[in-house]
Amino acid sequence: MKLLGKDISADRLMAELEARLGARGLKGSASEGGPIHFDGLEARVDPVAFNVEALSEHADPTRPLPLETHRTGLGRVVVLLKGAFRAGGQVFINEAFGRQKRFNGHVRDSYAQLSAEVLRLRERLEALEKKKAR
Amino acid sequence: MRIHQLLPVFSPHDAMSQAAINFQWLLRRLGFPGQVHAAEVAPGYSSLVAPASRLKVAPEDLVLYHHGIASELTSALLHLPCRRGVVFHNITPARFYAGTSLEEPLNAGRAQLAALAEGVELSIGVSHFNASELRVAGHANVHTVPLFVEPERFDSDSVDEVYARELSRPGSLLMLAVSRVVPHKRIEDLLALHAEVLRLNPEARLLVVGPYSRGSDYFRKLPKPPQVTFASELSHGELVAAYRSADVLVSMSEHEGFGVPLLEAMACELPVLAFGAAAVPETLDGRGIVFDEKSFAALAELVMRLRDDRKLREQIIEGQNERVAALSPAATEAALSSALESIGVPQVVAPVRRRHRVGKPRVAIVVQRYGADITGGAEAHARAVAQRLAKDAEVTVLTTTATDHLTWADALPEGESEDGAVKVRRFRCGGERRMPVFNALSDERFQAHHGRVLEEHWVMEQGPRAPELLEHLARERAGYDAFVFFTYLYAPTVLGLPLVADKALLVPTAHDEPPLQFECYADVFEMPRALLCNTAEEAELIQQRFPHAARARRVGVGVEPLEPSAAPWRPVPGPYLLYVGRLEAGKGLKELVKHHRALARELPASAPTLVLAGAGDLDVGGEHVHVAGRITEQQKYDALSQATAVVVPSRYESLSLLALEAFAAGVPVVGNAESDVVAGHLKRSKAGFAYSDSAGYVDAVKRAQAERPELTQKALAYAKKFRWAKVIDAWLEEIDRIRKSS
Repeated sequence: MKLLGKDISADRLMAELEARLGARGLKGSASEGGPIHFDGLEARVDPVAFNVEALSEHADPTRPLPLETHRTGLGRVVVLLKGAFRAGGQVFINEAFGRQKRFNGHVRDSYAQLSAEVLRLRERLEALEKKKAR
Repeated sequence: MRIHQLLPVFSPHDAMSQAAINFQWLLRRLGFPGQVHAAEVAPGYSSLVAPASRLKVAPEDLVLYHHGIASELTSALLHLPCRRGVVFHNITPARFYAGTSLEEPLNAGRAQLAALAEGVELSIGVSHFNASELRVAGHANVHTVPLFVEPERFDSDSVDEVYARELSRPGSLLMLAVSRVVPHKRIEDLLALHAEVLRLNPEARLLVVGPYSRGSDYFRKLPKPPQVTFASELSHGELVAAYRSADVLVSMSEHEGFGVPLLEAMACELPVLAFGAAAVPETLDGRGIVFDEKSFAALAELVMRLRDDRKLREQIIEGQNERVAALSPAATEAALSSALESIGVPQVVAPVRRRHRVGKPRVAIVVQRYGADITGGAEAHARAVAQRLAKDAEVTVLTTTATDHLTWADALPEGESEDGAVKVRRFRCGGERRMPVFNALSDERFQAHHGRVLEEHWVMEQGPRAPELLEHLARERAGYDAFVFFTYLYAPTVLGLPLVADKALLVPTAHDEPPLQFECYADVFEMPRALLCNTAEEAELIQQRFPHAARARRVGVGVEPLEPSAAPWRPVPGPYLLYVGRLEAGKGLKELVKHHRALARELPASAPTLVLAGAGDLDVGGEHVHVAGRITEQQKYDALSQATAVVVPSRYESLSLLALEAFAAGVPVVGNAESDVVAGHLKRSKAGFAYSDSAGYVDAVKRAQAERPELTQKALAYAKKFRWAKVIDAWLEEIDRIRKSS
């Protein structure tokens, strides 16, 4: 483990801490917290690709979302009841959302086609701008 | 132009919401009016933050959208017909929440961030780390405008003493973490560290301050070592108490876009020990101690060392103080101004040199209500000055359509009218005051210290908000040579004065009352060119409360009474004591009536009647008390000329015009000794007596009766000092100073 600070003598402080650990019969200062994720910058998430994927993922309204609760007691009972409702009522859910499923499919396809067209036009614009710049 | 802000959710304790209110404060200081809007607003805060659905923009307006996790506002922003910018608060990497319902909104937030790149002309990161992520997402005009804290809100005066006593346990180490209890904050690592610290100090405690869901899988699966407390909702004073009672602040978080608690801890002189994730090293900038691995046994030794090694502790705190000073509101204001300049939005309030204009000065008087029939000391004062100043200046009164300061109901037509030579422009109040809500809020807010959000919320609930008046100030500032704001207290002054500060004068009418303790009033006293005070006591009070206040000049008012009528009006037959003013609880009338009963008991046959004249619905009648209701100016001077004495029962006075009018009419004054201003007048004039209890009141009245002829002479001599000609000369001199320097 390394320490960082303008107002400390980091190496000396670390050596003193290790000496104290040694005196207690503990070894060194290796990390005990499991693998550590140092954050670099997060990569760009392409909005067009993300939206196409998200629309595809959620186009079918008859598919359930995961059941979660942040509550104790009654909250957990409600989750169980919702699960039971889904198990028993799936056939009715399919019936109720049949048209919605079709509509969502059209929205997904329309977005995918339009965004593909936008990407194609962007590429063409870029090429024309490059040509003009030359 | 207006700069509005848009955010998904407004909640008073949320960092993004606090940032938006802080930005609004700085934007005001830079001369930009605007409103904060949110898709969801916490109950009770609609006066401070408007719903996103009510956002109306003009093409030249700029909307700054605060972005974090995915929000439907991103799409709405892209279609707003105005200029657009984004303030990025960072998004937790989705890997921390893989397989949960949060994973998708986190990824969607990043996709939206990239989608915004082409749709905004200004992108602000609240840290360099966030600014870098904006660039990675494709944003071009990227600036860093860091978050900040106001150190004075975290000083030892802000501590909630009850909570501090609760936390105090000599010998027992207190480790503090201020964090939401969610996976990426690694609360399990804090608990592991605490378990190690317990080996070294079995009395050690860990306090985790921040929202948590008791039923969440994450919380339920956390180990529960002894002496750990989770506190979800602390008041500002309790939070400061926690920071100032703890021995060390520890952060184990593995992702921070800025880390406001690190800065708050530094402002509270609490050593910080933090895992160097994401923006943490940048926020600390080498201050505190950052570690790169989680060796809990070594960290536990370090925690003990930070508590016990006084020299080390002092070195660290000294360095942290420098970091707090560097991350100041002024530094953020400069960064924000520079970001706005990059898109051609210059700072408005910067003094601009131009040729000294000749001719009459153009003066705007900003006051919450205005008119001949409006009761209220400050309002009457404003009108008296406007009327007299109009001989030497082009005077425009900027005011509201309200006549009732309790409701701010729009009672008069908006637009332009004339009051003699004075031009009057009235603006709608922008919402009525809800007195029960406001009174309850006052009871709560006056009890303790708060952050900016809660103070500004109180100011907005008090009103009148008058957004169009504020826009007029910003838009038409070049059309006036000077702006004079009347009363420090109300929203038009708090929100309007900073917009035109370089041309502003303030007539504070301040007295020792609870709102004067609010830090959000600092700008009102510090930013204008000068304070035109009514009395020396008022100037001294302001200087004590705000040591950096602008130059104060004692100007006062003129008092030139009307001659009594040929057949003067009398409110009652026989001798009487007179009070003229609003019949409200805050004026000390209930205590006065109690004291007067004591007088009536002592002098059952010869006690003068207490006459209470003025508007209001306070129930203060009774034996030997006559409520005369509203009276005209002529009736007031008729009644004054025949009164045994005038009574000034209010402890909250910045001038006490009634006392001065009484002196001018040769009438002695019996006044509340708890008012420094009234006591000052009585001491200087020797034309009356102060009381602080019933016995004192009885004595004062008896002496006023007995010594009436001498007191009359002294009263008339004192009143000669208050002449309008002198007052107006002082005003013109101050206005001319502004003209010459701008």
